[in-house]
Amino acid sequence: MDMSYKEKSLLASLGITLVLFGWYLYGAFSNLPLNPELPGFIEFIILVVGFTILEVIIQSFLAIRNKSQLEDERDKLIEKTSCRYSYGFLAVCIWVSMVQILLDARFDNHLMLTTPYGMFHFLLLFFVLAEVIRFGTQLYHYRKGV
Amino acid sequence: MSQQTLAEKVGVTRQTIIAIEKDKYSPSLEVAFKISDVFQEPLENIFKYK
Repeated sequence: MDMSYKEKSLLASLGITLVLFGWYLYGAFSNLPLNPELPGFIEFIILVVGFTILEVIIQSFLAIRNKSQLEDERDKLIEKTSCRYSYGFLAVCIWVSMVQILLDARFDNHLMLTTPYGMFHFLLLFFVLAEVIRFGTQLYHYRKGV
Repeated sequence: MSQQTLAEKVGVTRQTIIAIEKDKYSPSLEVAFKISDVFQEPLENIFKYK
């Protein structure tokens, strides 16, 4: 399959995001009902630093292997379109979180989502899903047209 | 003329030229005029509005 530099770069970012954040969030949500404490600061720092290092290594490798990293109007249009989908999803998630917090305050229910641990990881999950949508829709538009 | 040569002359990627050929992307007026300039043909000989 003939893939452009942008497609390879997006595929790499999508893969790294899914594997690293998927692994972290799976672990976090497995402990969710039992662990109402604040999220582990060290684990989260390791995740972010690991993600950044892996991204830099893979993107540098891709940049070295591909001579041209030219970005044209089609790339910008695809990026803009995908950002719109991603933003829409994130906006819905933020509204859901706000309603959840309001309901929790109003009815004094200590729901899973409104504990600091739960809220932190749900917000992280929403952010990661928004990123996955952004990468995924970009790859879709590169293949199917925009 | 190869797709790569045309892409370089117009200032877009080869994938964009492929997408235009396959009718998966409608270029901006600027790119359309640059393509017609490269081929020294009027715009309506290269692009058709469906």
